[in-house]
Amino acid sequence: MIKLENISFDHCIKCTVCTIYCPVARATHLFPGPKQSGPDAERLRIKNPELVDASLKYCTNCKRCEIACPSDVKIAEIIQNAKWNYLKINRFRPRDWFMSRTDFVGSIATRLSLMTNFVLKLRAVRVFMYLLLRIPYRRAFPNYERSTFENMFRKKIAPSQRDYEKRVVYFHGCFVNYNDHSLGKDFVKVMNAMNYGVDIMKEKCCGVPLIANGYIEKARKNAVYNIKSLQRAEQGKRIVTTSSSCAYALKYEYSSFLKLNNSGIIERTDHSTRFISEEFSLGNVPKMKRLGIRAAYHSPCHLECMGGVMHTLNVLKMVPALDLVVLNSECCGIAGTYGFKNENYAISQSVGSRLFAMIDDAHPEFVITDCETCKMQIEMNTSYRVLHPVTVIAMALKEE
Amino acid sequence: MKRIETDIIVIGGGATGAGVARDVSMRGLRCVLIEKNDLASGTTGRNHGLLHSGARYAVKDLESARECISENRILKEIARHCVEDTGGLFVTLPEDDPTYHRNLIEGCRFAGISAREISVRRALQIEPNLNPAILSALHVPDGTIDPFRLTSANALDASERGAIIMTHTRVNAIIRKGTRVEGVSCIDKKNEQLNIYGSVIINASGVWGQEICSMAGIELTMFPSKGSMLIIDYRVNGVVVNRCRPPADGDIVVPGDTVSLIGTTSMEVPYDKIHDNNVTDEEIEVLLSDGEKLIPKVARTRALRAYSGVRPLIAVSGESTGRNISRGITLIDHSARDGIEGLITIAGGKLMTYRLMAEKATDLACKKVGVNKKCATHKMPLPGSEKGISRRRRIKKFSGIPDSVVGSTFYRHGQRLQRIMTREKRNYRLICECEMVTEGEIEYAIKNLNVKDLVDLRRRTRIGMGPCQGELCAYRGSGLLQEYGGASPEESVEMLHDFLEERWKGVRPVLWGDGLREAEFTYWIYQGLFGISRPVKTKRKRTD
Amino acid sequence: MKYDALIIGGGLAGLTCGIRCAAAGLKTAILSGGMNSLHFSSGSIDLMGYDDEGELVKKPFDQVKKICRARRDHPYAKAGLATVKKAMEFFIETTSKTGLTMNHNGDMNHFHITGLGALKPTYLSQESVFSPRGHDILNSGEKIAVMNFSGFRDYYPEQTVAYLKKNRIFAGRDIVLAEISLPWYMDTQKNLHEFRSIDLARIFDTAKYLPRIAEEIRRAAGDAAAVSLPAFLGIKNYRTIRKRLEDMTGKFIYEIPTLPPSILGLRIDQALKESFIGYGGEFIANERAESGPVDSGLLEHVNTRNSGREPVSSKYYVLSTGSFFSGGLASNSQRITEPVFNFKVDADTKRSKWYSWFFFDAKSHPFLSYGVRTDKNFNPVNEKGNTVKNVFCAGAVLSGYDPVREGCGGGVAITSGFACAEKIIGELKK
Repeated sequence: MIKLENISFDHCIKCTVCTIYCPVARATHLFPGPKQSGPDAERLRIKNPELVDASLKYCTNCKRCEIACPSDVKIAEIIQNAKWNYLKINRFRPRDWFMSRTDFVGSIATRLSLMTNFVLKLRAVRVFMYLLLRIPYRRAFPNYERSTFENMFRKKIAPSQRDYEKRVVYFHGCFVNYNDHSLGKDFVKVMNAMNYGVDIMKEKCCGVPLIANGYIEKARKNAVYNIKSLQRAEQGKRIVTTSSSCAYALKYEYSSFLKLNNSGIIERTDHSTRFISEEFSLGNVPKMKRLGIRAAYHSPCHLECMGGVMHTLNVLKMVPALDLVVLNSECCGIAGTYGFKNENYAISQSVGSRLFAMIDDAHPEFVITDCETCKMQIEMNTSYRVLHPVTVIAMALKEE
Repeated sequence: MKRIETDIIVIGGGATGAGVARDVSMRGLRCVLIEKNDLASGTTGRNHGLLHSGARYAVKDLESARECISENRILKEIARHCVEDTGGLFVTLPEDDPTYHRNLIEGCRFAGISAREISVRRALQIEPNLNPAILSALHVPDGTIDPFRLTSANALDASERGAIIMTHTRVNAIIRKGTRVEGVSCIDKKNEQLNIYGSVIINASGVWGQEICSMAGIELTMFPSKGSMLIIDYRVNGVVVNRCRPPADGDIVVPGDTVSLIGTTSMEVPYDKIHDNNVTDEEIEVLLSDGEKLIPKVARTRALRAYSGVRPLIAVSGESTGRNISRGITLIDHSARDGIEGLITIAGGKLMTYRLMAEKATDLACKKVGVNKKCATHKMPLPGSEKGISRRRRIKKFSGIPDSVVGSTFYRHGQRLQRIMTREKRNYRLICECEMVTEGEIEYAIKNLNVKDLVDLRRRTRIGMGPCQGELCAYRGSGLLQEYGGASPEESVEMLHDFLEERWKGVRPVLWGDGLREAEFTYWIYQGLFGISRPVKTKRKRTD
Repeated sequence: MKYDALIIGGGLAGLTCGIRCAAAGLKTAILSGGMNSLHFSSGSIDLMGYDDEGELVKKPFDQVKKICRARRDHPYAKAGLATVKKAMEFFIETTSKTGLTMNHNGDMNHFHITGLGALKPTYLSQESVFSPRGHDILNSGEKIAVMNFSGFRDYYPEQTVAYLKKNRIFAGRDIVLAEISLPWYMDTQKNLHEFRSIDLARIFDTAKYLPRIAEEIRRAAGDAAAVSLPAFLGIKNYRTIRKRLEDMTGKFIYEIPTLPPSILGLRIDQALKESFIGYGGEFIANERAESGPVDSGLLEHVNTRNSGREPVSSKYYVLSTGSFFSGGLASNSQRITEPVFNFKVDADTKRSKWYSWFFFDAKSHPFLSYGVRTDKNFNPVNEKGNTVKNVFCAGAVLSGYDPVREGCGGGVAITSGFACAEKIIGELKK
């Protein structure tokens, strides 16, 4: 008999709203929908764990079902739990192993970045990855930087930060660390313009890809490490991230899914736009010039789930002459490492197709979003460049 | 007027009646079973589904205990798909007598029931949701039994062997010629009269036995004892949890398919009140608070419904309080007792001793008609319970259809799954999403299992027994009754109406929290959106 | 103060209130925890369907007038007849601006046909349920076709026909039952037999299969002047799809709402959300209000699940959290409460009085009329008994009316939402 953990399925009154808003149920017949996979099936799985359906693996954990549920059922969490507790998953999954260990892969790839970037663009290599690892041939990989952000920051940026009295801790995350220093630099620029200095602490991957691929123990190890490290930051210092997924993990997944005590960091950790929005409302608005650009904003699923979209919108509204089109909330389909798997690729693309069509209809000059994997997906499927809200502010800052 | 000639007439379609029909048919005799409502709609369908190990009776009633364990073992063989061998625990709480469990162990030893004491830690391993404050625990071979599946399988076997099963047919007179009973006069759902003649009538009508006997001019005094139960929305325990103390209210939590059940209370009721199935607020209080003491999670779980059943107790020797009257089997040959030839009454007992009761009644009936065949019901598996491929392998054979759907259907129908499920898309589409009931299963039930309306359908397939209590599936079910059951559109909507009213009876006493939300939602859909109660004009009387 | 008006609950009442506030230039936000009950509604707006004896109401505003005089606790009485009329006009105008036309039959109720063939009185309906042309056809005695998509499990048209025929308007009428199959070349591998209404609507939101469907309808309906189908005419592109299909078939296409989700209701939901955001309102999804200090007789701020240290504050607040189903009212085995601010609730203290003996009792169930106690200004009362002057209540969370028995759910939601908005706007102008 399984010790019952998440019993929120008890509140489900079978209204079927979650199934309306599930992008995967809409995209494929292989997934029966969150209601059936979550609260309906959970009662059967409790009776007999054998009654678990393989179709659970199609759930992207976008959490739109939870956003839609009027009964406060943690549907996506129930499905994730069922996936990892009941489904018999192959032990030997080299692709999933590599894709979720972003620190491991990232540290090697940055050391060999010239080669990595070159190789990842080669057709033959992509075909090889498809045949051996079942990574879709069409999938674009991000570029790797030549060093880690951590190293670069400590050498080049940290000294100048000491001049600032007020400081924030920046949880940079793997994407900034290995793939895109410019976002990190933009963040520092914006913080500095708002009279905040930036510190970084030792960090490991927040664990989102590890959780998504079922490496729960490793995710937990990383989480414990991160909590301990971040807790060492002085009292009162805020912890800010530029990745909405990292923010979601630090604030919510660590406690609700990994069952860890993150009370020491939860209150002071936030996604960047929330911190900036709060500062703006206190009057701490840096001087910005008129941008005169039309942009479309896409809200990432995890940010939406955290209630963080309004902060991003509040921040972007303060950028002068930014013609902002707020796109209807749609999942982009990549769902982290989900879209890098060949068996999910078609679903992933189908889920995102609505978003891509909307972007085209909006005719922006570029797209804004807070999540790095959303950025990858949109850039791959449309002709638009995708910028982070922090980058947009950085662009607007008046040079003193 | 229609007329049927047969050998044995069985009155009552509960487990006992269906068991008798099966036994009789297996011995080569013709049989007609008459049931005034639906199979297992009486006490059989209103019990807690505990497959006793007998431990409960080991202290006070050794004979009952021995019967229990013997039938327990038989049922685990012949009714494999109706029974779950979960095992059970007898736990002592801090407020109970800490030595009582020793009496239990003693009694079990005498009765041949393997009851062993286990450590509290081990008990918590077996049942993690158990109250960690327990003092001691005994492990016993309890199991659970689904009374609907059991009765339906017996009736199915009987009808496959030639018996005629007539549900929704009411006996309104016993045809007597002098001191001999010749048959019964009945009236069916369409109000048509029908006379059935047979050599022996077996009265297996449970608590209605008193009424049937009085139709034959015989006095039979029953001491109906009402017992109430509470169903919890999902399965909070994997093994049966019993309170280790002298039998009292609220001392078991029984898992059953996808739900758990807290039981029972016990209250003598006067005979004219046996139709009152209402559960009082006080009974619910008792059940919830006692259930919580065994499984603390119960406090935070949705109470799905509450209902009661009436134990058909017969006084054999002058006792009068419900719990202490022996629940032993009572076989009455009315020719010996009352001078009326051709009538047998089989009463008392428990759900799980139904087969033994049927055996005794059939033995006597066979003696009366001069047939010398021995009972074989303890050896033949019921339809669906045959030894066949395992559930896991069966599920694999239907790859492409979700495991949860195939598995649920297998749970309910055992090896008969092959006759129910096909790969046709229409067949495996879900009608009841809570309990994963497919259209194929519903079609099978309507065509083969004596289903005349939605309430019958619910007993055979579990449609409407999940958290939504019919919110979505009742409507779909009514549509399918038109398609497969030949109901007219008006009939199907009346059945829908009746089904929802029937569900309401059980939801009403526990109307709070998520149950209240569900009821409000259901009401909005059927009354607000569909406007059901305007088209249907049925007369109804409040029965309390 | 972050906002001028903070509306807790994004249903029909909350959205109506929000649109009115935002359109007046107020800084408005709606907090919404989960999708609203429009997803299960008929897609029509019931203003006043039945009187106190359960008889059909022909002229809803007349009945509203009676209620204003006789039932002080009814939300209509608190708003007043004039506001009810203004609110309805506002709603019609608002939805029309987004392209969703809500029709009415002058000042009279009209009927919409339910899946079980009942005729329910209502005041506003969408084009595919009530329109002048449709009204004429349905009342003219002409042949109608009641159809279904073959294999659709959420609708059984035989039941519709059987009960329609019992009604005086349709008795003796030539009604043909037919099935149309979904286009066999449809771009989906989904089990057609497990389609929900939303799947149908998604397919028809693109115009891809229209010609084929039109062909099937024409063939199956023969010379019927009107065709009814379970609601499917798309959500986003409803207007154009409906028009095109009617032109292609030459028949009045009638939509019948069936098991949830309600496509008709979804259209209203999307139209209102679009309107609200268009006026600059902030729609914050997945945000649940959890508590807020009201000791002094004024709500100081609202603590929400995601707001953490920074509770949200506003000059005025609207509580439109719905009934039990939506979480606006909560119950345990002993009592009924308003779970966010613990406002006083009009409800019986004995649980056995919450419900009627029969489920489909003609008197309905008492719990449907339970709700937050408000004064004539829609202000609630806190635990201590003080009126909370900066909070207004709207929609199903209100006490004093039974939306099902009276047939006034939509009307009360829109009226109370509108009335609360007017009050807030009035206060802020001072």
